[in-house]
Amino acid sequence: MIGLVFKELWGRKRRMAGSLMAVFLGVTFLTGTLVLGDTLAGSIDGYYANAYGKTDVSVRSSTRVSDQPWGSRGQIDAAVLDRVRQVDGVANAEPVIEGSGQLLAKDGTTIQSRGPRTAGNWMTDPKLNPYRLAEGRAPRAPNEVVINRMFADEGGLAIGDRTAVLTPERVSVTVVGISMFGEEEAFGETSFTAFTLDGAREHVAKSPDRISGVSISADDGVSADELAARVKSVLPSGTEAVTTEAQVEEGMSEVESGFLNIFRTVLGAFGAVALLVAAFSIHNTFAITMAQRTRESALLRALGAGRRQVLTIVGFEALVIGGAATVAGLAGGMGFAELLRRLFTGLRIGIAMEGLTVSATTLLIAVPVGLVVTLIAALGPAVKASRVPPLAALREVAAEAQRPSAARAVVGGVLAAVAAGAVVFGAVAERMTAAGAGALLAVVAMVVLGPAAARPVASLVGGPAARLRGVPGALARGNASRSPHRTAGAAAALMIGVGVVTLMTVFIGSLGASLENSVAGSFKGPIVVNAGNNETGGFSTRLVQEAAKLPQVSAVAGVGSGNLRVDGEPSVVSVADPSALGRVLDLGVDQGALSDAGTFAVSKSVADEKGWSTGSQVDVTFADGAVQRLTVGAVYENTDLTGDYLVPRSEWDAHTRQPLDNRAFVELAPGASTAAVVRALTDLGKQYGAPEVQSRDDFVASQTEEQQGFITVVYGLLILAIVIALMGIANTLSLAVHERTRELGLLRAVGATRPQIRSMVRWESVIVALFGTAGGLGLGLFLGWGLGGALGNPFASPVAQLVVIALVGAVAGALAAIRPARRAARLAILSAISAP
Amino acid sequence: MGNAAEARRTLSKDPGTAGGGARTVRLSKVYGSGDMAVRALDDVSVELPARRFTAIMGPSGAGKSTLMHCVAGLEDATSGKVYVGDQELGALSDRRLTRLRRERIGFVFQAFNLLPTLTAHDNIVLPMTLAGTAPDREWLDTVVRVLRLGDRLAHRPAEMSGGQQQRVALARALVTRPQIVFADEPTGNLDSRTGGEVLGLFRHAVDDLGQTVAMVTHDPVAAGHADSVVFLADGRIVDIMDAPTPDRVLDRMRGLGDHR
Repeated sequence: MIGLVFKELWGRKRRMAGSLMAVFLGVTFLTGTLVLGDTLAGSIDGYYANAYGKTDVSVRSSTRVSDQPWGSRGQIDAAVLDRVRQVDGVANAEPVIEGSGQLLAKDGTTIQSRGPRTAGNWMTDPKLNPYRLAEGRAPRAPNEVVINRMFADEGGLAIGDRTAVLTPERVSVTVVGISMFGEEEAFGETSFTAFTLDGAREHVAKSPDRISGVSISADDGVSADELAARVKSVLPSGTEAVTTEAQVEEGMSEVESGFLNIFRTVLGAFGAVALLVAAFSIHNTFAITMAQRTRESALLRALGAGRRQVLTIVGFEALVIGGAATVAGLAGGMGFAELLRRLFTGLRIGIAMEGLTVSATTLLIAVPVGLVVTLIAALGPAVKASRVPPLAALREVAAEAQRPSAARAVVGGVLAAVAAGAVVFGAVAERMTAAGAGALLAVVAMVVLGPAAARPVASLVGGPAARLRGVPGALARGNASRSPHRTAGAAAALMIGVGVVTLMTVFIGSLGASLENSVAGSFKGPIVVNAGNNETGGFSTRLVQEAAKLPQVSAVAGVGSGNLRVDGEPSVVSVADPSALGRVLDLGVDQGALSDAGTFAVSKSVADEKGWSTGSQVDVTFADGAVQRLTVGAVYENTDLTGDYLVPRSEWDAHTRQPLDNRAFVELAPGASTAAVVRALTDLGKQYGAPEVQSRDDFVASQTEEQQGFITVVYGLLILAIVIALMGIANTLSLAVHERTRELGLLRAVGATRPQIRSMVRWESVIVALFGTAGGLGLGLFLGWGLGGALGNPFASPVAQLVVIALVGAVAGALAAIRPARRAARLAILSAISAP
Repeated sequence: MGNAAEARRTLSKDPGTAGGGARTVRLSKVYGSGDMAVRALDDVSVELPARRFTAIMGPSGAGKSTLMHCVAGLEDATSGKVYVGDQELGALSDRRLTRLRRERIGFVFQAFNLLPTLTAHDNIVLPMTLAGTAPDREWLDTVVRVLRLGDRLAHRPAEMSGGQQQRVALARALVTRPQIVFADEPTGNLDSRTGGEVLGLFRHAVDDLGQTVAMVTHDPVAAGHADSVVFLADGRIVDIMDAPTPDRVLDRMRGLGDHR
């Protein structure tokens, strides 16, 4: 029996190759995304493990204001150091100073990076220092620095170069050394400019008696836990001692629950989309091969094989194919993950990843999924095939011609109506659950309706082909509509791929439009000085003070950002002079007023959630541990530029020594020209790391550009799903060509030229691809409208992108047909005619 | 047979068909090489004269199909020459061979003669549509009438019986007014009554429409409809019989069987 299976497989190598390909691609995508997730987690783990060098125990402020994995803490009293050094078992203890410090490139502009931009002290004990010198020497004078490799390269800086660091005051420095973080050029994308301890005290801590923490190494024989306990006993309140192991774990759990979770979810979603697309291809492939072998199995049945035996043969065949393709897919997945890793690292998404991490979970998910999907996809058509009475099958029957049933059209129609209703309701009533459920149902409805729609759609889409291309076009149209199930199956895969891409495009477009609308709605002035959204980036608040003195400027307000615990929760807040901000922005104040520099304001959504109104008392905890009670002075509606909390600069600056603004909004004095003010501000900005001076339009556009890198990758992944779908079409076509060998031979015999045959296969592919693309576009647009509407975003369809998607779909359809078309044209007429 | 007279009149307008028929000169076809070589045709010179119905017979492996494939330009000759009308095939490129098949040769196979997606009418005019030329309306009507397909033109192959399908195939073969129609076991899949009917139509095509037909068969009854029978054995022509009857053909075949 098993022997029969292998003979069967070997005898139909091409068919086997088609099935293998479909399973292989699905497993490859799934494995690739899983491995990439693990690799990223592993790399982050590795980073954290090295983030503290060989430090055993660290002392730090016990106040946590940020739930970001790299969120820093406030400063502590430098006197802690002396106390720690007294503790028995401490081999060495060094102070750690770390704060905002933006390195300027050789051209005087701030080196842009998405990671924290930090400055601090170069620790002299290599055991405690996570960085090592790669070149040059450690700093000796207060104005000498060691910078890390990534930023030396980015900024075009070499040893001996003179540049400056904004802390946020401009500090002139000389680069004396270049460091590496272990084997990496940076810790993630963190820039680290290291002064001498004295230099760091002077420029970063700005006080001889404040430090960020203490790094401690233990004497031999003293465990980290033991040492932490001993150190703890001498610490003043507001500080804590933690082992490096605990710190790494803490960081990892924050990464796991935050960034990594999102990353895995997104990758998982793509894996699922890809697998769904692949499942369609697998099912389609098996359905075709099953149609081809209906007669064979009928012969077996006629010779006395039971239905069960026939099914067993198919089941074994599916297992063999599924197994082989899954193993190949695992290998392919490694390659795919490696490709993604390079792509992500190249585009600087997440962090630089090293090697690949393959966990047992990946194998435990990918292997059964590959096998089970293959088995299910194969057995469905096989069961159907085994129901054909043996004698009917032995006769010359067109195995593929099945008409979709009326029941299918009815069920599909009802599903589609319900789905559309739910999406419309969700969009109009702004209910995400309704819209989401409707969206899922719409996909199901599409799959059910596909075969019913395939015939009319294929003749409609094929119409122009038939008119333009004559016989090959007409034959292509006929072929595309002759087996609606198959056409729908091949198209469905593409439909899902294109649908998701379109959905994303519309969704992002709507999001951008929403952001643009509200940004444009709240900011009416002509100019913004913009340093980006980096929390440790930005420019000194002095820039705004200087700008206010310019005669052409009538009003200017800076906004910075920071972390606070508001009502116990770590929160990101905006820091500004509320009254100044009120003059340049329209925040849509609902209650109270941004009347003076000390007004604390919250967004309406937070106020509603917490039950606050003007006059409510809110406790906030600053990074340095100070707790303060603020009174809500205003409630505002527009949160796009300031987030949920607006903390007065006057309160904030009492707790930080590095006051920064991320952007400043500028209004012109009557009669002043925008160009002149832009020039004046640009000149002024040179002292402050040359933040960008943008017109209002540029600023509005830049607000939506920030996620571009991520969106690029999203598109990249989705396009891979489309590639899988197109391979599915190619596969379906190949099998169809194989199946229609005799037809093609007949065509050639009665005088069809090779180009005509090629043209026919190509047009069939284009028709199927257009069917899929059009369906996907329609579905994606509708769901994009519905889901965007449910979130309250305006509908904005980026027409250019959609046209590109449609064109890509059609062209890709033609590309998918290249190989099958060539094969079809090459078929020797004789072998075609004499095929069994 | 009023149709026949009409058809002759139509035919006489077209002198192109006059030089019809096909012939081979010392045709040999060898498959493989060295020790494995199989000589499927060995020095065959045969004439398939215009406006005649010729049957090609012989035991399995005698080379009947190979002969037909070579004459129809579906297979290259190893040596010797093949003429369709005055055209020698050996010198033609694939493109010109394709054109020749489209314009000057008709085919009827044992089964699977029609494209399932096309109606009977579209199947019949397929060679013309492939060439991008319009069918000769009058001639098409004549062929359709003679083959009694008038009420079947809008049907697809799946909606027709085997005999009807073969009639459509014959119509397609005739509609280009080819110099020769090749039929490969055209009745092999039909019951004897329907088969007889189809063979009658072949006869009809030759007698009344002035066409040339060459048919490969192993059925003595089918061969009995032909004007002459060419007997092949082991790649050589062993006999040519004019005015065959099924009994005489059967006798001769028995002799060939003994010979083997």
